[in-house]
Amino acid sequence: MDKRIVITGLGVVSSIGTGKDDFWKALIAGTSGISKISSFDTSGYPTHYGGEVKNFEPGNKNMGRASNLAIASAKLAVVDAGIKLDNLESQETGVVIGTTMGESQVLEKLNDAWVKNGTEAIDPQLIPLYPCNVLSLNVAQELKLAGPNFVIPNACAAGNYAIGYAYDLIRMGKARMMLAGGTDAFSRIAFIGFNRLLAVAPEKCQPFDKNRKGMLVAEGSGMVLIETLEAALKRGANIYAEILGYGLSCDAHHMTAPFNEGIKEAIEKALSESKIPADKVDYFSAHGTGTPANDRQECLAIKKVFGDYSKKLPVSSIKSMLGHTMGAASAIEAVACALSVKNDIIPPTINFQTADPECGIDCVPNVARSMKVDVVLNSASAFGGNNACLALKKFLP
Amino acid sequence: MSKKRIVITGLGVISSIGIGKYAFAENILKGISGIKPISTFDTTPFKAKLGAEISNFAPEVILGPKGLRTLDRSIKLVASAAKLALADAQLEITEANSRDTGIAIGTTFGSLASICDFDKEALTEGVRFVNPALFPNTVINSPASQVSIKFNIKGFNITVSTGFSASLDAINYALNALRNNRVKIALSGGVEEFCIQAFLGFYKSGCLSDSRGIVLGEGSGIIVLEELDSALARKAKIYAEVLGFGFAVQDLKKSMRLSLEEAGLAPEKIDYINSAANSSEEFNANEASAIAELFEKRVIAVSSIKPLVGELFSASGSLQVAAGISALESQVIPAKVFNNAQISKIENILINTAGRTGSNSSLIISKFKGY
Repeated sequence: MDKRIVITGLGVVSSIGTGKDDFWKALIAGTSGISKISSFDTSGYPTHYGGEVKNFEPGNKNMGRASNLAIASAKLAVVDAGIKLDNLESQETGVVIGTTMGESQVLEKLNDAWVKNGTEAIDPQLIPLYPCNVLSLNVAQELKLAGPNFVIPNACAAGNYAIGYAYDLIRMGKARMMLAGGTDAFSRIAFIGFNRLLAVAPEKCQPFDKNRKGMLVAEGSGMVLIETLEAALKRGANIYAEILGYGLSCDAHHMTAPFNEGIKEAIEKALSESKIPADKVDYFSAHGTGTPANDRQECLAIKKVFGDYSKKLPVSSIKSMLGHTMGAASAIEAVACALSVKNDIIPPTINFQTADPECGIDCVPNVARSMKVDVVLNSASAFGGNNACLALKKFLP
Repeated sequence: MSKKRIVITGLGVISSIGIGKYAFAENILKGISGIKPISTFDTTPFKAKLGAEISNFAPEVILGPKGLRTLDRSIKLVASAAKLALADAQLEITEANSRDTGIAIGTTFGSLASICDFDKEALTEGVRFVNPALFPNTVINSPASQVSIKFNIKGFNITVSTGFSASLDAINYALNALRNNRVKIALSGGVEEFCIQAFLGFYKSGCLSDSRGIVLGEGSGIIVLEELDSALARKAKIYAEVLGFGFAVQDLKKSMRLSLEEAGLAPEKIDYINSAANSSEEFNANEASAIAELFEKRVIAVSSIKPLVGELFSASGSLQVAAGISALESQVIPAKVFNNAQISKIENILINTAGRTGSNSSLIISKFKGY
């Protein structure tokens, strides 16, 4: 179990850029990917903004959008890792995907037909596109992956759960290489639900701001390719970061309200597995949804874990730019963390105007920060009180 | 890696042939079927009219009457099974062990009815009139999360959606979490509820038939898994040891072979195979040939409980494990054996879960033989 696991490939499809280079440029420039929702008519809805990926052409019309987003980011990660796409079959490669809503858009089409014209109108051709287990199967089919194949629908922390499990599977010798990440297509159902919880901001996501008004529903996919350090060195791969460990916890408290004790527990487990003292963390990538409750609870957890050091620790939320990409969020944030470690730059929290004394953290306001970044934590929380925190470290040969 | 020994010390079953492990085991042995005309919705427009619904399920009897109002059926099924499993294991979750206890649940359609009802209410009543209290039921991890909330399980909480193999994949996740010291105790299994949405999905895909095809069922099986030392220390009853797991995409022979490898068992050590067979002809033939190839000329006892409990999709594996435990206890093969294989003992059971396409998983559970 003492295998060291490294990230050697990054793939991302997002509202601010596709592919790690465009994504990173937009991220450190503080670009917003939020726009008026165009995938369905929002008249009659209380809010109208979200983080849709415009100009994304699904490569396979026989699959849903969430699968297509995942396939695109998976291919980007493989190519980025310097591996030929037709060369995976023999590599004992598997894939773990996290999601919140799965192929929600497919189900919404089925529901539209059902409501308008009854069960007769349901298109049988659409049915096999829906069940969320197809997400990882579709990626495996497109990339010819014969290894472990797994979908974790752990809502908005699912990406971190996926990366954590992939890390365990390689350490246990169940796969040589894993693609792991998350995907979600823009979901009308999620948009309705968060609106009904009064959790959606009218136009801007402002994590940690005193006047923050909520989250914004978004879509996208993030994927990392991971392998053992030994394998990466052997093939001369570019190593972004080493995965030191992760921590999971469940609040066992409330379905929708975040809770600082559970968040704290996941962070502490990640630190303990990584054998990293809390004050050695250089950057904390927050869940930071921009809802009053999340940011308050998350900052409280940060203060409890880091004590006085919490005043110095840079904590930012890229959801200020992307909105909340649901099951993809923590995977896209993991991509950002790997790039942060690689480039020694911390992406900012944009839309920040007024400090909230209840938060009391350094949220890297509005402008990216160049500084040495050796160790990062990527924290995520989800409905059901499911928390997951991932620890990454700069790899020095 | 020194392999930790993981044992099963508790079982909770909610099925169409019985609530609780005794009723389930008894009716499995008697060969009583839970398949009846569907009552959840009007089947007049459909050619398939049968289902294995749980008609006598009264969650308030198991869970108490409080706090059930906004919970969907899947949540009530899995929470009930979890409660029975914890009681069976004589395990109390307290502040002392709560953070060392995790839960992994296999389900793919567990929240489907809730998701569709929520969306359809918005479409018919308008988005401003949907009941926000029902939104939490629309996430696929809500059944597992509600179990954590109800029973204070804080170590980890994960939902696995891998289609037909999800229960075994969830159990394997729990095994790995135990082996990697992430928790000391794990609840695992699966849940699916009977609903018109799942019925329509399978029906319109041409899978359902009352005579020559799949009949859908519902239910939940939950097992308590822990390290052998922990079980011995608290003098728990040990039902079985979990020896091996194997997974493959569309390759049941490979998943069986990998499970044997992990268990360190030769094929001839397997006494009985609890099959994934669900009357889908192409798929049954596929499993039969995979078994024939792996076990060569040996006639091995194979049976399926799906003629009794129906096809439970992602929850099937959880009831198959329950049936396997019952077979180890009673030394009688559950349900009707497909061939006339003679057996003298049941010590090692191989459980298969698979669908026509997608993930295949195999799990080996064995009679606990001590050190």
